[in-house]
Amino acid sequence: MWGGGAVSDEDRLDRAETGRVLRRSLEFAEPHRRHLLAALGFVTISTMCTIAGPLLVKFATDRGFGGGSVRALNGAVIAYCAVVVLNYVVGRQQFMAINIAGEGFLRDLRVKVFDRLQIQSMAFFDRNKAGVLVARMTADIESMGELIQFGLLQFVSAALLLVFTIIVLAVISWELTLVVLAVLPVLVLASIKFQRQSNHAYLDVREKVGQNLSTLQEGIVGVRVIQAYHRGAEQNRRFVTSNRSLYAAHLHTVRISVWYFGLVEFVGVFAVALMVGVGGWLAHSGSITVGTVAAFVLLLANLFEPVQQLSQLYNTVQAAAASLHKLYGLIDTEPDVGEHPRPVVLPASGALVAHGLTFRYDGSQRPALVDVSIAVAPGERLALVGPTGAGKSTMAKLLSRLYDPNEGYVTFGDVDLRLASMASLRERVVVVPQEGFLFGGTILDNIRIARPSATDDEVAGSLESIGVLDRFSEFPDGLLTEVRERGSRLSAGERQLISLARAALVDPAVLVLDEATSNLDPGTEAVVERALEHLMTGRTVIVVAHRLSTVRRADRIAVVDHARVVELGTHYELVAQGGRYAALAAAWIKSQPTAN
Amino acid sequence: MPQVTPPPSGWPLLRRLLREQRRGLIAGVVVGLLWSAAKVTVPRLTRQAVDRGVIGRESLWFWTGLIAVAAVVSGVFSGWRRLIAFRESRLSETRLREQLFAHYMRLHVGYHDHSQTGQLMSRASSDLQQIQAFIVMIPITASNLAMVAAVIVVLFTSQPFLALIALAPLPMVNLLSHRFSHSIHPAVLAVQVEQAELATVVEESVSGVRVIKGFGAEQVQADKLRVEADDIRRVSLQSARIRSSFLPALDLLPNLGMIAVLGIGGHRVLDGRMSYGQMLEFMQYIALLVFPLRNLGMTVAFGQRAAAALLRVNEVLSTAPLVDDPKRPKMLPDPPVLSADDDDPRRPVGGVRFQDVHFGYDPEAPVLRGFDLTIPPGASVALVGSTGSGKSTVARLLTRFYDVQDGAIRLDGIDVRDLELGALRRAVGIVFEDTFLFNDSVRGNIAFARPDADAADVERAARLAGADDFVMALPNGYDTVIGERGFSLSGGQRQRIAIARAILSDPRVLVLDDATSAVDPSKEHEIRGAMATVMQGRTTIVIAHRAGTIALADTVVLVDDGRVAAHATHEELLASNERYREVLAALTAEEAEEVEEAELARRTERSEHAERIAGGD
Repeated sequence: MWGGGAVSDEDRLDRAETGRVLRRSLEFAEPHRRHLLAALGFVTISTMCTIAGPLLVKFATDRGFGGGSVRALNGAVIAYCAVVVLNYVVGRQQFMAINIAGEGFLRDLRVKVFDRLQIQSMAFFDRNKAGVLVARMTADIESMGELIQFGLLQFVSAALLLVFTIIVLAVISWELTLVVLAVLPVLVLASIKFQRQSNHAYLDVREKVGQNLSTLQEGIVGVRVIQAYHRGAEQNRRFVTSNRSLYAAHLHTVRISVWYFGLVEFVGVFAVALMVGVGGWLAHSGSITVGTVAAFVLLLANLFEPVQQLSQLYNTVQAAAASLHKLYGLIDTEPDVGEHPRPVVLPASGALVAHGLTFRYDGSQRPALVDVSIAVAPGERLALVGPTGAGKSTMAKLLSRLYDPNEGYVTFGDVDLRLASMASLRERVVVVPQEGFLFGGTILDNIRIARPSATDDEVAGSLESIGVLDRFSEFPDGLLTEVRERGSRLSAGERQLISLARAALVDPAVLVLDEATSNLDPGTEAVVERALEHLMTGRTVIVVAHRLSTVRRADRIAVVDHARVVELGTHYELVAQGGRYAALAAAWIKSQPTAN
Repeated sequence: MPQVTPPPSGWPLLRRLLREQRRGLIAGVVVGLLWSAAKVTVPRLTRQAVDRGVIGRESLWFWTGLIAVAAVVSGVFSGWRRLIAFRESRLSETRLREQLFAHYMRLHVGYHDHSQTGQLMSRASSDLQQIQAFIVMIPITASNLAMVAAVIVVLFTSQPFLALIALAPLPMVNLLSHRFSHSIHPAVLAVQVEQAELATVVEESVSGVRVIKGFGAEQVQADKLRVEADDIRRVSLQSARIRSSFLPALDLLPNLGMIAVLGIGGHRVLDGRMSYGQMLEFMQYIALLVFPLRNLGMTVAFGQRAAAALLRVNEVLSTAPLVDDPKRPKMLPDPPVLSADDDDPRRPVGGVRFQDVHFGYDPEAPVLRGFDLTIPPGASVALVGSTGSGKSTVARLLTRFYDVQDGAIRLDGIDVRDLELGALRRAVGIVFEDTFLFNDSVRGNIAFARPDADAADVERAARLAGADDFVMALPNGYDTVIGERGFSLSGGQRQRIAIARAILSDPRVLVLDDATSAVDPSKEHEIRGAMATVMQGRTTIVIAHRAGTIALADTVVLVDDGRVAAHATHEELLASNERYREVLAALTAEEAEEVEEAELARRTERSEHAERIAGGD
């Protein structure tokens, strides 16, 4: 049994939205149409088989027993055998058909959503919480997997069974059908009420489970502080409170289901009494046969079970529709930093020039950059300095087209970056993030992410070129070391080296560096410094500098403050100018005990 | 890790659980049996109604009325059975979870250091759910069993041969559903594993988006995702294949019984050896048995899963905490009260003495090897040493997160192992390197150690820790909820909350484990000032990972190779000790960079707020 779904009021779709989601899903399922149609055909046959059983009993009763015909009885038995075998065969087929179609649909959906996610801009990732994006790709799609495995088939077959059974009943006896239809609404109404109540109760349980888990986690993660201050008893009390409120929520769902399932049980048996009583009375008057009464008694189950199933599936289907709605929304999001329809390849080298850049982050009142123009010559090193929040990182992001400016533009070798193909842009201009982020896989895989076509030798060569190949070759598994496995965790310094090797592998004309603020141990620090020096040699470099030692190695320095470049020049020029940088440099020299 | 060997099975734990709730469970079984009785009468009553009332001309309404009565009884008792079964099973789950949590809170820190949070979480969540799923089956299974037995008896007494033929396929239902639960379980797990792998690719693509965008590596991740998406489809279809080979068969089997009844029974009806009502009765009984039999198969599979879960839960519960209250605890001496008109009415307490302490997390690899140190009441020392010298371990031993393996630690003359844990830990306040905040208000977090503290005391502690300013700037001041689910604070702000927490607890001994490391360098001097105030007249151990913190303490202890290598003032050590100069140089080199940054930030000053709002940098 799976937990069933629930959908909160704000997620519930209205009729028009549901229609759109349905149409979209049908379009999306187009490649799997054959299997879907096959499943539908099989379900129809299987439903008919289910109904055929009681009808054969009726036939045997009326013709066989009533007419005293052995042949009629034997015929009914043989037909019953055939129907049962057919149902078995069709049952297996329908199951596989719906699963092949459904899993194919989900696979396409995963790939499509992820591809769409990947082409979104940095701004998109800043706007959307990582957890939410991950949940779209995992929990939202997985919940639909449950629906496909268990629900979809059940939903269709329950609906078909309900309709077919009523038709058959009406054909064999309209009088008894009227009696059935008098009882059925009670069950339908009860099911609708139960479905609403259980939806709310389930949402409540889900929320309480979440709260309880985070109280639990808080206790486990915080156990050192709790023990250090001897607050175990207090923490227990807190946990019991949240745990008991979860218990209460569970009990509430049980109480709701108790009356409903009790009623279902009662209606099921009571309907037998009605069929026997009313049917017997009608049989006495001769308007129906005994076989008809028997068929009604046996067919009743086909009516009541589908009503229950449909009501339970209703929430699940609604939840799935809500998930699909969100996923389609994601697929429809146009990337705001996209590739030009007719992209050009950037020249191999050239100056990187900012022309009057103005930029404002979404939802921010204050612009992060105002009218910034700067030209960086090929092979020049430019350091960006300034207080936190002044705009230096933003400048680096615009110069590498992680964002597009609101006004102005950036050129490389006189080509507007917005016209350049993404592939050539990422070959010419490489951003080295300050934290060395690692992906699952080996060291080789991690470096190769920068240029997937690179051979093992080329990857090793990139480490060699920054002078750190030996350091990684010495690992027990060398460059094939899995970076996320326990025991082979790389240090912060080694992670930064991998980040630098990635850049070396691309061999770009322009490097954009956001210098790390975190500290490494002095030995590693020196290795990283040397590797960086190797990497920067012969390239245009733009570095967001947090250390004055880095600043000193730059050809020119731009002081960024309040979203503008306020000073620009060499170290000596700016010191001579006696402005903000001069004060900074003076303070730096004073605080440096061993300055020479 | 020396640990008590857990008992081999979880059954004693289950027995205890069931015993605690035996009244509820017995009630559930009794109610369930009444439900079974009502259900079993229905086909027999139908037979009577058909044979006597419909085909014969006896009272139709009498039998129909009885069926209606059975309807009421079975409706009431089926609901009631459900209520009791779920109430009792949820109750066991709830109680067991509370026991587990309380046990987690008591278990020694060494246990937690060796356990993964996720593992402990799943003991108290998914494992308990499996146990719950089994307990709920107990009353249900008992009544199902009774029903199956009753039906078999009824059928065999009326038509033994037909009963044998008709019921023959039914044990297969039980067998198949048991086998199904068994084979589907690994398939379901395989799907979960693949889903987790896909989630990893998605997670790293989202959190590593800067790298991906920086190198234009979108396609690499997209290819990885395709592989994972295909894997999920493959294993999902495998599990579908298992379902498709079992589920239609489960539907098939009872139908075979029906055919047997129609074929054999039908001929008997024609021969007059059996009534028509009897044949209908048989059919209804077969239909009645399908669900209970499927259920029995599931119960066995659930039971096996629950047994595995019980084993894991029991393993935790039967691990005894290695650090516990002593049998005959001693009391810490009261601080002697001096004359009332004295400026400081309390003479300093909190003398700490480490006597030849030996300790290693792994006894094979000792960290402390004969650590000897005496800190007089009210004095402050800085522990300085390279990484791995053992300086952080000292604090963990003082609060008995771990116990010494040899030697002793005395607080005001009393061995810490002779003190009640509560008394010891109230006497020693620690500010950890990584600050943990609870999902609670700022006030609640500061008053963590003293929940009864009044608002003025909390605010005084916050002021001393330099936290008052930013707390007042929070949306709801001291009532702002912080922590995982609340307002997020910067590293430095978290640290100041932790310091305020320690100040409010007013300990005899204060341990600062590099408490200023996460603080913005430009704010560090403020905190150092606050710390100096707090340390006045209080025994303080500063575990210094950086040079700046050393200045706070009266004397410096150089920890090297698990021993006290030297103990003197900073200046003396600087003048006389080569090793101290080395260690200090390493610390200073790290710190120099930070000083520059602090200067940079201070000179050009202002607006650290701006970009955080803008979401940049």
